[in-house]
Amino acid sequence: MLVLKSLTVLAGTSLASAANLTVSIPSSPPLLPNPASLAPSTHAVLIGPPGVQYEAPIRRDNTFTFPDLAEASYLLTVHSRDYFFPPLRVDVTKAADGTQQETVQAWQTFRGNEWSNKGPFYGSGNGELRTQIQPSSQKNFYQDRGGFNIIDFVKSPMILMALVSVAFIFGMPYIMDNMDPEMKEEFDDMQKKGPLSGSSGAAAQLQNFDIAGWLAGKGSSTEQGAGDIGKKR
Amino acid sequence: MLLPLLPAATLLLAPACAVFSDEAWNVDYHFALLGAPKEETSFFHRPNPSSKASLIYTLSEEHALGAVNPRDGSLVWRQLLASGGDSHNTSFLRAGEGQDVVISGIGSEVAAWSAADGRLVWNVHTDGPLEDVEILELSDGKETVGAKDAVALSGGEHPMVQRIDGASGAVKWQYSIDGSDAPYQLSASSTEVFAILIHKTILGYVKLRVVALDPVTGLKTDEYMLSSENELATADNIISVGANSASPIIAWTDAAHTTLKVNVVGTKSISSFSIEKHDENAIERVKLHAPYHINSLAHFLVHYETATSHWAEVYHIDLKNSKVEKAYSLPRVAGRGAFSTSTADANVYFTRVTRDELSTVSSASHGLLGRWSLSSFGVAGGVGEVIEPVHAVSEVSVKGDTVSAIRTTVLLSTGDWVLLRDGKAIWTRPEMLASTVAVTFAMPADMVTLAQQLEVEAHGNPVAAYIHRVQRHITDLQKLPSFLVLMPKKIVQGFLGTSADDAAGSDIFGFRQIIACATRSGRLVALDAGHPDRTLWNRDVTDLKPGQSWRPSLSSTKDGVIQVSSVAGTGVDYNATDGQQLAGDLPVIPDEPDLSTSRAVRYTMRGNSLEATYDWSPSWTFTPTHGERILNLVPRPVDDPVASIGKVLGDRRVLYKYLDSNIALLATAHDASSKANFYVLNTISGAILYSNTHPNIDLTAPIPTIMSENWFAYSFTSEASPDTTKGHHLVIGELFESLLPDHRGAMGASSNYSVLHTPASDPFTLTQTYQLPEPISRLAVTRTRQGITSRQLLAVLPASNALVGIPYGVVDPRRPVGRDATKDEQAEGLMRYAPVLELDPKWYLNHQREVVGIKEVVTAPALIESTSLVFAYGLDVFGTRLSPSFSFDVLGRDFNKFQMLATVAALAVATFVVTPLVMRKQVDQRWRFL
Repeated sequence: MLVLKSLTVLAGTSLASAANLTVSIPSSPPLLPNPASLAPSTHAVLIGPPGVQYEAPIRRDNTFTFPDLAEASYLLTVHSRDYFFPPLRVDVTKAADGTQQETVQAWQTFRGNEWSNKGPFYGSGNGELRTQIQPSSQKNFYQDRGGFNIIDFVKSPMILMALVSVAFIFGMPYIMDNMDPEMKEEFDDMQKKGPLSGSSGAAAQLQNFDIAGWLAGKGSSTEQGAGDIGKKR
Repeated sequence: MLLPLLPAATLLLAPACAVFSDEAWNVDYHFALLGAPKEETSFFHRPNPSSKASLIYTLSEEHALGAVNPRDGSLVWRQLLASGGDSHNTSFLRAGEGQDVVISGIGSEVAAWSAADGRLVWNVHTDGPLEDVEILELSDGKETVGAKDAVALSGGEHPMVQRIDGASGAVKWQYSIDGSDAPYQLSASSTEVFAILIHKTILGYVKLRVVALDPVTGLKTDEYMLSSENELATADNIISVGANSASPIIAWTDAAHTTLKVNVVGTKSISSFSIEKHDENAIERVKLHAPYHINSLAHFLVHYETATSHWAEVYHIDLKNSKVEKAYSLPRVAGRGAFSTSTADANVYFTRVTRDELSTVSSASHGLLGRWSLSSFGVAGGVGEVIEPVHAVSEVSVKGDTVSAIRTTVLLSTGDWVLLRDGKAIWTRPEMLASTVAVTFAMPADMVTLAQQLEVEAHGNPVAAYIHRVQRHITDLQKLPSFLVLMPKKIVQGFLGTSADDAAGSDIFGFRQIIACATRSGRLVALDAGHPDRTLWNRDVTDLKPGQSWRPSLSSTKDGVIQVSSVAGTGVDYNATDGQQLAGDLPVIPDEPDLSTSRAVRYTMRGNSLEATYDWSPSWTFTPTHGERILNLVPRPVDDPVASIGKVLGDRRVLYKYLDSNIALLATAHDASSKANFYVLNTISGAILYSNTHPNIDLTAPIPTIMSENWFAYSFTSEASPDTTKGHHLVIGELFESLLPDHRGAMGASSNYSVLHTPASDPFTLTQTYQLPEPISRLAVTRTRQGITSRQLLAVLPASNALVGIPYGVVDPRRPVGRDATKDEQAEGLMRYAPVLELDPKWYLNHQREVVGIKEVVTAPALIESTSLVFAYGLDVFGTRLSPSFSFDVLGRDFNKFQMLATVAALAVATFVVTPLVMRKQVDQRWRFL
């Protein structure tokens, strides 16, 4: 508080009418529970008309102080190593009632939008404005590499397919063994009738294709020979 | 409220080219520097009066105020103080005994900073430039408890003394100094504040006028003139005014350094001592070292220096009758030396640092309390150079009659700042790099020999080449034993994940290039980009007089050689590996500055117009319109390889780039209407290929420009009007032969042409503007060997203290506006245009660190195509490696060796397990069939 008072006194001596702006960073959990943890390089920049620019480093009490602001429309940006802050528009205008003091007003502003597009109102004051600004997000500098993860690895469809087939290869004989005989017979019949398996299956026919017989005009003579190819055991 | 979502949308796009968490801190390096510390603004101080640990505070020549941890030399905090464009380089830093603030004074601003974390406590602006700042070490009952007040002396038109409240920064009183005398210094005793002014006599000599003020009321109590007779010719002969000691002193010598006059401020008597000559050389400098604490003994040391040696004398002041007496002298030692004063309670100790010895004496007697021999300071110097101390600051703790611990920071003649603990170098800070003015990359010579030999084999006749090759292999065989010895270590290293580029010795990727930095003080410092923590060599290359500046330009004309040339002088070559001078002497010739030089076209500024000469005859002149001034000219880099002449679209058609090695981007400013104009020029014919005007520009803000390949970029800060936006903008433009795919425009059919003879075929230019959250002060672009890798735009953000790498795809001017990207455009990586370019923190090459004061960024290609080396300098030095298209030709850190080995092992196990099963099954089947 003392700081501000002294600055107002100083400002009063140097300039007849001048506006002051104090922006403080409150504790804003969960993003920034302790504003004292902000790096000392945290600073605020007020950009006015060409050539007018003020810079204020962060103070011990987590504030930025701008004394002696001339009448203009300013863009206030807070730069911090670890956090993003929303940009503000600060207008310093002559007071409506014609007094010596100037009116300071602040709004949020949006980049990439016309300057007249104002956001939420941050307050106004006569000759002096104290307002608060909260960080909008934390800076995340690092890109994590998609490292090796055993769960992701197992989840991938290729691996799932492979695992299922492995399960079949190893599991099938045991299932067959543990089936009751009726079921087993039924299953064998089903396999025989299947288009690919059994002695009359397409696979067996292809494998045991008798080219000489075929050339000799013989019909389906593959019945004899390998009777139980399709059988698993 | 949809509007804030737009930037969020851009952030989601393109995760390309980010800093990976496993590469950060490994491939990049950073020296957080302060600049050369100044003797009078460096000290040990306890940031917290209750704790015993102290930090080293300094305000450097680069106006950086910082605290350094004496344990490891790391920076605790730092503030770059604005010098306010001062002409005289004076700055002050004071800390009161037992205070938790340090008070700086620079330009016309006095500021108090929290000593522990570097935050501002208060600041006060004075009317005139500051001449001195002191802390009032007295208790008059009126000051706020805990905080000691400061007194400031300011000059200018109305010189005055102000007392500033230590807690709030309020001015308690001010005293205007009358008369035309120039304020010189402040001095405070326990009862009075003295303002010392320089009074010029009619004869041209100077006299000292002392004004004594009451510290409580600020009223003048006394004023007198010291009768310095005619010996004080200039203010330069005044040695020092002691501050805050029990009896402040002022001393001066005559121009020839034959007598020393000492006056205890507050009295009128002057003690005179004749200076003995110790050798044939004239005394060049006399320095005074006095304790800075009010309750310490009134002893001081006078340090004499000649070109070849130095010695010192210790004087005591008798407080009762203000008499100054010589107590003892310290012997003459060859070379330069540094003295520092430290106090413990009332005792005063002087520490002396010479080339090879560190010793401490008490101010009361000349007996040595401690003595350590210094074998080396642990820093790299030039060939045959003797490293000498320039100045020192010490912290001494004495038990009984011996020094139990001593910490001394020494600034060396090489520019390194070293901490010696009990005579051993604990850490060094390469502060000379903070004043780097020019940088080049150079390949080490041993790398080059292989390339040269391969060259010989490639161009010789087959038989000779074969013999050469066999011979080369035979010589290589000599390295086999050492290679075999190193082999197990290498395998273990590879296994533990220490990647290939860390292995010492070999550098097949070209990451370990030598970075040569020319500093403002005329030294050339070489760093190894692969092992940046140590300086390869550091040598003096010019003979600069104090105050003289040089504008060196560095280049690596051929591999292994660094050429230094100063403005128009001829170059001097140095061996890149060890810094040996190869040939030539470097003359420092001040000359008309060349704006830029590229092959045969030379540009000269004549008045306000730019003149281009080609083969020494004027080719064209660019004269801006009335009231317009040229800001800068950026030609396309001479070495700017481009692999593809076209851009492949999503549907496999091609847009042809307008590639001309003779194009440059010229920026001009029109101050009256605050407009900035940008022109793309053909540097041979002078034709304007493209131009653009931006109104409402802040011309005091930086306007960086860059030109590469077939595109250019620039940035500026614009002023608001109700229907436009205010802030910082980045404009990017790309030149094409034609905007129709698969069409080469007017020049399509001709195989060669001349811009001077055929009518110019103007390129088709696409531009796009993006709004940035913060200003850019410098633009650069990555460079790779063949130009196959996509380029990345590097931008220095001074507000965030960052160096950001913007992928070109994000700022591509071909991003579709007002509609979503089509399938083909998506295939190309283009996304819908958004006016705001939020700079993703993942693009920050410096990531968590703060890179302060970057003025210039240089890039160089590595030996492998994917990688570009980046080196940024200014105040801090930062370097990294970038792979804008990811590391496609080298196994990066994403390659998991363990995973690969585990996979191989798992497969092997699986094979062993499955083999008997398969065998049995096959055998079973055989039996069944037969």
